[in-house]
Amino acid sequence: MAGEEEKQSIISELENSVKTLQEEAAIEAVQKAVAAGVDPVAAIEEGLAKGIREVGEKFARKEMFVVELIYAAEIMGGAIKVLEPELKKAASKRNVIAQVVIGTVAGDIHDIGKNLVKIMLEAGGFEVHDIGKDAANELFVDKSKEVGAGIVGASSLMTTTVGMQKEVVDALRAAGVAAPVMVGGAAVTEEWAKEIGATYSADAGTSVDTAKQLAGKGA
Amino acid sequence: MAIKSMPRGQFGMERLEVMDKSGADAIHVNSLYLLENMGIKVVSDRARALLKEAGAEVDEKTKICKIPNYLIDEQMRKCKRPVKMAARDPEKDFVLDGRHCYACTDGVGLSTIDLETGERRPSTKKDVGESAKVVDYLPMMHMYNPIVTPLDVPEHAHTVHEFEESMINCSKHYTTGSTYKREEAIYELKMAAAIVGGEKELKRRPIISNLTCTTSPLVLGMTTDAAIEFSRAGCPPLLMAMPLIGATAPMTVAGATLLGNAQVIACATVLQLAAPGSPLCYSSEPMAMDVQTGLMEGLFPAANMVRAAHVQMARYYDIPIFIGGWGSCSKVPDVQSGYEKAFSAFIAYLSGADMTSGPGMLENWTVLSYEQLIIDHEMFTMMADMLKGVPVNDDTLAIATIEAVGQEGHFMGKKHTIDHAREMWQPMVTDGQPYKNWKAGGCKNAADHARDKAKEILKTHEVEPLADDIVKELAAIVKEAETKIPKK
Repeated sequence: MAGEEEKQSIISELENSVKTLQEEAAIEAVQKAVAAGVDPVAAIEEGLAKGIREVGEKFARKEMFVVELIYAAEIMGGAIKVLEPELKKAASKRNVIAQVVIGTVAGDIHDIGKNLVKIMLEAGGFEVHDIGKDAANELFVDKSKEVGAGIVGASSLMTTTVGMQKEVVDALRAAGVAAPVMVGGAAVTEEWAKEIGATYSADAGTSVDTAKQLAGKGA
Repeated sequence: MAIKSMPRGQFGMERLEVMDKSGADAIHVNSLYLLENMGIKVVSDRARALLKEAGAEVDEKTKICKIPNYLIDEQMRKCKRPVKMAARDPEKDFVLDGRHCYACTDGVGLSTIDLETGERRPSTKKDVGESAKVVDYLPMMHMYNPIVTPLDVPEHAHTVHEFEESMINCSKHYTTGSTYKREEAIYELKMAAAIVGGEKELKRRPIISNLTCTTSPLVLGMTTDAAIEFSRAGCPPLLMAMPLIGATAPMTVAGATLLGNAQVIACATVLQLAAPGSPLCYSSEPMAMDVQTGLMEGLFPAANMVRAAHVQMARYYDIPIFIGGWGSCSKVPDVQSGYEKAFSAFIAYLSGADMTSGPGMLENWTVLSYEQLIIDHEMFTMMADMLKGVPVNDDTLAIATIEAVGQEGHFMGKKHTIDHAREMWQPMVTDGQPYKNWKAGGCKNAADHARDKAKEILKTHEVEPLADDIVKELAAIVKEAETKIPKK
């Protein structure tokens, strides 16, 4: 086992690799972390996630591009994969603000916006369960029940499918799922969200604040 | 065969080429490479069956079709000019001969900037009719695609309602931009046949064409089913590539051009297999992702360059092209909408686009503005005036007149001047007054003049009416379609 100082330096390497979008450096650092016995939860929380939060903040300040944010998420995802066996062994768990179920509604295959929201929420401390695009209402319901969703997110780009957001809300309520619903996507407006009993999230950048408010953690 | 009553744009100079010849070759060759080696996902069962029968390698599980090069080359040779775009009023028929250019509206907007209140509101069937009527009036708008989707009709059957309302209010060629289902196509074609007097006549005079979207990257969706119906009826589908640069297509112009081109020629292959020799057009409406925010915008120069490159590819295959352009992110008719739209449309036409669409729309093709429609028409008339190029001959050189005027004279009262004065571009709404008169007239800008003009058109313009029995027949078909078009 490596000393505390070395472990700390590896965690900084993890953070830096995500922050500076160095894919190879991230994999190198995460392999070092496994070899040195770094706590995988610390590797994620204090290393990778810290790095991506910084990218997210820079994105919000318009200092970094959305494509860079997505790339940072890919780098983080690749590193977490290496950590997965260690995570299973580890006693500690990540601190999660809330479980979020997110998907693009049935009939709509546009998922870029939904994916961005997912990245931002994950970086913001939520555990996100992505049910994908063209997702049936039942899938929203079943997954929400399965994971005990604190928030459900439904995205729709097309006006022809925006009505499905209402159906998602109705299906959840009918099944006794009380979690607040966040809606977004090009065809969605604040008024529409209100009408169907959901909360409007304009874009990926503001989705974390909205989600934190819904989770009672105030932005 | 040419139009008698409609003025049109005429190309009088070399077309702009944004790639050199080897660049265009590379787009073609690599499109073939991708389609043969990686393949394209074909969701439509009918399209897959056609490809399989013709020799493509089809995986029924993944729906991926690997199309051999020879098959694509063979089918592409079947699509040729000229393509005829007929109109409800035969005087407004036109032929895509590669030497003339035309303008169309784009569609599927969701809100309208109300002409009276100036406020945005959800769009209605009445908006479809009124914008169609304005297009019927504007001399250099040649075809109409319902600018907005009416939100006050049954959603599953909105396309037939659009067609009905458009035919009543506009006698020009019709393009449907939102026919996604086979059943919608069947009913639209039935309505079109009723108007022209039967299926056979429709094949001869296709008064309707269909924008069919391919999906990036590399998917032919269910819209292909609707396109097959149009091909078989002899009504040209316009095969649209809509690469979103940086999101559903590579970040580079060449990469996005390649991907879009591969989708278009794959779709053309399917349609030529379905209806050999049937007319079709290439089409492209790329957008670019704002790398900062992830929003999809029509405004970026890169997207306009993909448009120009696709025009070059359509010319490479010698098939007509319909460019979705005139993109603007602006929310109101203003300076921004002016320059965005002018650049977008002009580079497409300079490259040789047969048709472009987009006049009258704001905020990335989502909002109808009557003012903008009239201003965009004005811009097109200016572009067309420049696209003519410079004819040089004894008459245009005017040597005798120059000699007759002599030094320090003027040309104003000369016969040569009078002979050509009517050729000079004339504004409809552009304000050319001196300050004093402008101020006295209420300081109106082009948008104000356009608003006045739109109101005047709606009040006074009379559309050549559709025969009563046809109006009744269309209504009956719409009613039947409402019960037969599937709701999902």
